[in-house]
Amino acid sequence: MRRLRVPDLGGARAVILHRPHPTVQALVRQLSAIGLQAEAHWPDLPASALGADFVFFDMDMGHDEQFPWKPGQAPMPMIALIGSEAPGRVEWALGMGADAQLLKPVGDSGVYSALLIARAGFEARRTLATEIEGLRARLAERQTVVRAVTILAAGQDDEAAYAELRRLAMSWRVTIEEAAARVVANGEAGRVRRRPS
Amino acid sequence: MRRVEIGLLYSRSGSYRLLSEACRAGALRAIGEVNADPDLGLRLVPVERDPGGEADAYAPLCAEILAAGARHVVGCITSLSRKEVIPTLERMGGILWYACPYEGFEASSQVVYTHACPNQHLVPLLRWAFPRFGRRAVLTGSNYIWGWEMNRVARGLIGEAGGEVLAERYLAMGDVDVGRMVAEIRATRPDFVLNNLVGASSHAFLEAMARLGREDPAFGPAHCPILSCNLTECELPALGAAAEGLISAGPYFRDGAGAGSSFEAAAHASVRFLAERLSRHPEAGLDDLLARPGGGLAIDPATHHATLPVLIAQVEDGVFRVRERWEAVPPDPYLARRDRLALPRPQLSVVAP
Repeated sequence: MRRLRVPDLGGARAVILHRPHPTVQALVRQLSAIGLQAEAHWPDLPASALGADFVFFDMDMGHDEQFPWKPGQAPMPMIALIGSEAPGRVEWALGMGADAQLLKPVGDSGVYSALLIARAGFEARRTLATEIEGLRARLAERQTVVRAVTILAAGQDDEAAYAELRRLAMSWRVTIEEAAARVVANGEAGRVRRRPS
Repeated sequence: MRRVEIGLLYSRSGSYRLLSEACRAGALRAIGEVNADPDLGLRLVPVERDPGGEADAYAPLCAEILAAGARHVVGCITSLSRKEVIPTLERMGGILWYACPYEGFEASSQVVYTHACPNQHLVPLLRWAFPRFGRRAVLTGSNYIWGWEMNRVARGLIGEAGGEVLAERYLAMGDVDVGRMVAEIRATRPDFVLNNLVGASSHAFLEAMARLGREDPAFGPAHCPILSCNLTECELPALGAAAEGLISAGPYFRDGAGAGSSFEAAAHASVRFLAERLSRHPEAGLDDLLARPGGGLAIDPATHHATLPVLIAQVEDGVFRVRERWEAVPPDPYLARRDRLALPRPQLSVVAP
């Protein structure tokens, strides 16, 4: 079982996008009991919301233009406040990037677990995105690696050429892709500086 | 003379009967004092129901109490029973005064928590223990939320302090088969054991550990103490000599002729707090009541938890002797306010022999 890292919530800032309503009061009560600072806005989130640690947003009356960021690009975990469970509204909340949800009316509980789930989901999403970006970049460099191996293969077989590329990467302390790019740049200039053996 | 019904919801039979009886005695004593005090002008009439230790009996019996005209109920020992009654309290507008230590992570608007939460028991207990005994621990617990959550918090604190959890073991409620647990402690030789077992399991474990300590002093209280956050005077008669050397944290330990345990003291303080404010403002809602000045408990309006002293005590010759004391530690039920983990300097420091 992966252990949940409990975030430091004391003093964290939560922003609520919801019209004035008892649900907002109940949310603020729970948030301040946990130790967060909460503020509510309606009808739009100000640019200062970009600095919030969590955003709670109304799924019933919400629309894209209320947020100072594009759908799906919120820089913090978001929690949808759900009144009507209509699939179209769920679709919109997912598009906005909801990491967790709370059903309205919000009563006495639910906020703490929503905070933990939203934060964990948000972080997992961000880690995966970074990892995928790295993999994509490496994939894009595959052709460069093939070209470098071809250049280094002059007078030896492909396997030895690939081993040569790995040795170069290690001695330059760079990734294989980066080393391949250097080899290609040098090779196409007509001079590959071979490592003295 | 104003007549006010007050609910009592304690199990007079079942596995945690000793704790219920302590709370009930505290509440009844306070009711007697209030009724004998002409200045308060209040007559508290107990409306009592006994769930007999059955978790599913709490919600319907709580509803009966509220239907009989009481708005405030003093009751519940286990977290399970507390969580059972909260929907009833919400529906019927009742308030529960909960006088037991618990694992935190709750702040219901219908509940007032008058005993300690983890930043008032577990956190100071471990901080106190680390420099004295070490940071290599075995964690034990009964298989339910108290044990799980207490050990999760303990694991975090031990990790932060650079210590090590050698084992984390659980027993089903009521299970007294403690042999493997004790054998594992013998094999891993921890610096201390954190005991979050309850009831019969806890008693069996403590007796087995006392036997082990007699056989091999390396496992006695001086070298491998057993720490807990819910051990009080209530359980000392059941433990007898096996209690010697046990260390516990709580807001109160028996001192002379006062309350017999922190459970009794917390239930007593709850009723006194309520009566004092109700006598002057009989129609006040809870938030209003909590905001009223007056003696006794200090309840944080944001969390409904009490600010409490934290005492660490050790059983010596059959009674708890206080080893350390901090006054007025504010509650932090979600352990979110990191600054509160830093404890003020102790007011009293007694060096253990």
